[in-house]
Formats: sequence, structure tokens, C-alpha cells
Amino acid sequence: MMILLLVLPLLSALLMLLWPRIAPLLALFSAAASSLLALQLLLQVAEQGTRYWLLAGWPSGLAIAWQADTLSCLLILLSTVLQLLVGLYAFATRSRDKLSQGFWPLSTLLQLSLTALWLSRDLFNLYVCLELLGLVAVALVSLSGRKAIKPAFNYLLLSLFGSLCYLLGVVLLYGAYGLLDIAGLASQWQAGWLSNSALLLMSLGLMLKAAIWPLHAWLPAAHAAAPAPVSALLSALVVKGPLFILCLLWLQLASTSQAQAMAPLFAAAGLAALLFGGWSALRTPFAKNLVAYSTVAQLGYATLALGLMLKFDQPLIFAALWLFVLAHALAKAACFLAIGEMSATLGGKRLTILKGASQTMPLAMFAFAVAGGSLIGLPPSGGFLAKWALLQGVWLQGEQLFWPLALVFATLLSAAYVFRVVVLAFDRAEPVAPDFAPQLLPQWLALLPALAVWAMALFSEPLLLLLRLEAL
Amino acid sequence: MTELSGSLLLFLLTAASLVAIGVYGFIIGPEPLRRILALNIISAGIFMLMVVLAYRTSGSGATELAADPVLQALVLTGLVVAVSATAFALALLARLEQSSSEMSAPLQLKQTEPEQ
Repeated sequence: MMILLLVLPLLSALLMLLWPRIAPLLALFSAAASSLLALQLLLQVAEQGTRYWLLAGWPSGLAIAWQADTLSCLLILLSTVLQLLVGLYAFATRSRDKLSQGFWPLSTLLQLSLTALWLSRDLFNLYVCLELLGLVAVALVSLSGRKAIKPAFNYLLLSLFGSLCYLLGVVLLYGAYGLLDIAGLASQWQAGWLSNSALLLMSLGLMLKAAIWPLHAWLPAAHAAAPAPVSALLSALVVKGPLFILCLLWLQLASTSQAQAMAPLFAAAGLAALLFGGWSALRTPFAKNLVAYSTVAQLGYATLALGLMLKFDQPLIFAALWLFVLAHALAKAACFLAIGEMSATLGGKRLTILKGASQTMPLAMFAFAVAGGSLIGLPPSGGFLAKWALLQGVWLQGEQLFWPLALVFATLLSAAYVFRVVVLAFDRAEPVAPDFAPQLLPQWLALLPALAVWAMALFSEPLLLLLRLEAL
Repeated sequence: MTELSGSLLLFLLTAASLVAIGVYGFIIGPEPLRRILALNIISAGIFMLMVVLAYRTSGSGATELAADPVLQALVLTGLVVAVSATAFALALLARLEQSSSEMSAPLQLKQTEPEQ
């Protein structure tokens, strides 16, 4: 079944290149089938426990180690479902937005590289997945024409530089231990200058690729330049790949002293991302840039949770970290699709075109507001669930006043930039007239992930339980 | 091992200086082509480090000098990735040059895929 999850997108992407006429249908079919497979894998793993593979039957040590635990399965399910949704949106708007034919095979390859990344537990294999992910993401950004070439090129250079830093770290580790799989390395791990420098190099590369503050400067330009479905995929999924590897490195490999030393740095970077990302989102005049800066800010929550997890070693904070990732992925996909739909219909990129959008395009605006509610962390959404788990985890460590206060301040900042859009949309005095009659189906498709993130609250108990078990 | 360590050290130093030159060029150079070349120099340095490490790992224990095959496989994979990434970067750079020359003289030369 795991093999099928990889072979299906690869085969269909190749078929799409040979047979571009049926590419959209093939892409949707492969995404739908993969979603079903991913759901089945998740249920199986939740019931029978974690599954391990050594690829091609080599003995352990030589073979590439793969592992499907509940977290990996959840992330695979998330990527395939979002792939399907975004594919449907792109299909529904294909006659209006002249999306290049390249979108279909590339987005299917994106799903393939993400699936491989969530499963892999081998440092070099992770490098290959990371590089594939970066190349596909850049190609997707460059689809939207000549204005996107420059941001895409900058994104490519930084992404390649990040991968090379990561690769250098992998080579240093292999030189010291002669091993590549994470479980094997963890059992022989010794804190020393070599492992310190390898960890720092790998973290530098991964932080650059995951756009963690202060290495985030490429993200708003690249994500805002891409077409709407692509920005949804990039913001929701692509930046989470390097973040996943970063968590593997620090939570499974690093020794306690190394983790303790790094914890304040991650927490500070997360806090700074929340403040500066939120502030930039509040100031930017462009609608898509606002959502892109909000991605920088929301990634700050995940980084902060990683830092606090390293410091306190509390399973609840680990659950909060991945709840943030899940909730942000769904909410951000909805935001980008809604904003993309509104700027296509109302004709413009500036935030001011959204004036009166609650009247002209109520559904898309509703989708944005609902998703924004989860970004702020209003109960009972997924964002609230994550924030609550984080606060509870911090509170369990005794009298901690600084972190809860910082979280409250960051929440106010995210509320400010979400309401900046909502207030403008309810200014109904002179609404911006749409260029053509708004289409209903794409707006519904933008609303779906927003509703899903609120539905996460219904599954809060099993989700928290699964993710907490994963941390032990 | 001891009689090799001199040349090994030389190789290691060369690899390290290649990486350093590449990083310097990447950070300093505003010219896009120069930055692509700098990335290539960094990867050349890393691959050289891998080849040297393969030599060392086998030389320490065994009597015969058989290099570590895993690292050689990794270098091959890395080369493939680096070549394709460079090709992609160069193609993107060519597009960039083309579009910037079009911007100055606005003509409808932009390639659009035919509607299927």
C-alpha cells in the first residue's frame, strides 16, 4: 500500500507528460486514490502500530529506512487531501485562469516528494526528497509568467544553498559514524564539536528552506508571485517538509545538552517571526502578501513550540506543534484560494479591491474569515486547539508567565491583520464591482478546508492522544 | 594510514577551501550566473569531501584499499541532483534574461502553451 502511494503519483505524472490532454483528470484521479490509500494506511497504523521498511531488502545499515507512524500518516493524508482540493479548484477555474499545463504533472510530483519525505528516516534520502521538493516548488512558482521568474529564481538559489548546507552536515555525520538512518545514528550519538557543527549546518539549511525567521525574506515574494492554487500548496505543505526534518533532527538525534542549548534560540526565532511577520502583514498593501506574511508569522508558532518542546520535553507541546501544522495547512489553503478567487473576480492585487467583498462575494469572504478565525485561534477551531495544547503544556511546567503573555500578544497581532481584511470587506458603502459574475463552485472549494479546520475541534481528543503518544 | 595522512589532509583542506570560496561567491556576488557557479563550487567541495572520506573509512581497518561504496553511491546521486538543479537554474536564468529584455521593449513574444 505504501508502494502504491508513491508509484501512483509518479506513474500518473509521467503519463500526464505523455498525454497532456487528460492530465487534469489523471491528476485528480491520482490525488483521490492516494487520499483513500492514505486514510487506509492511517487507520491501519493507528490500529497495529508503527510500520518499518528497509527498502529493496538490504540489511539494516545499508538499506534506506522508512517508517510509517501516525504522524507521518496524518501528514500524508493532509497532503493528499489538500492536493485533491487544490486540484479541484484549479480544474474549476481552468477556463478563466490560464493555468499552464505544467501545473498538473508538477503538483502530482509535489505530492510524491512530500509523501516520500514524510516516510523517510534516512538522512541522505531526506536530502533527495528535499531537493526534489524544492525544484518542483520553484517550477510551480515560475508557472505564473514573467513576473514570477525573478522571485522563482531567488527562491531556487536560496533553496539550493539550503540543501547544500544540509548535505554538508549529512556528510560530516556519515564521516563520523558511518551511518545514515536516524534510529541507528541516535543510538551511537555523542555530543562533540563534529556533531554540533553538523547539526548547526543542517539546521541552517533547513531553516532557510522552511522560511523560519530570520531566514524568511524569500517567502513572501515567492508565495505571492505564484498562481493561487500553487500558493495554497506552497504555504500549506511545502514549508512543512523542512520543518519535519528539523524536528526529526532535534527531537530524535540531538543529545539533551545540545537540545537545551538550542531551545532558547528556536523559541526566540519563533517569537520574532510572530512579531515581525504579523507586523509586516499589518502593513503590506497587497492581499496575497498579507497571507504570505501571515505564513511567516504562523510558522513562528511551530518554531516556538519546537523550542519549548526541546526545553521542557513535554508531550503536550509536541502535539501542539503538529496541531499548529495541521491547522495552519488547512486554514492557509482556504485563505489563499479565497483571496485568489476574490482578486481574480474583482480584478486587482491590492487589498483595497476587497472593499465591500462581503456583499459581492459573500462565500469567498466567509471562507477567508472562517480560516482567519483559526489563524487567530478562536475556539473551537484547530488553531485554538493547538494554542490551548501549547499553553497547557507550558503551564504544566510551573509558574511561567512570559510565554503565555507572549502568545496572547501574538494572538492580538494576528487578529489585527485578519480583521484588517474583514473590516474592509464589510465596508459596503461603495463596493468594488466584480469584473464578471462570481463563480460559485471555486468559492465553495475555498470554504471546504476552512470548515475542515473548524471540524478538527470535533476530533480533538483522538488527535491529541495520537500525537502525544508519538512524542514518547 | 600514517603515510597517507599528509595527502589526505591536503585533500581535506582543498575540499574545505572549495566550500569556503563557493560560500563567499554566493553571498557576495550579485550577478545571478556567478551565484549559480558558486553553488556548483560548493557542491564540488562537498563531493570531494565525500570521496576523501570514502578513502579514509576503508583505509583505517582493512589491509587492501577498497573505498567505501556507500559514499561513492551518494556522490553519484548527488552529482545527478546537482547537474539537474544547475540545468534548471540556467533555464530559469535564460527565461529571466528573455523576459527582462521583453519588458524594455513590450512585445507579445511570451510563450504560451497551446490550449489543449
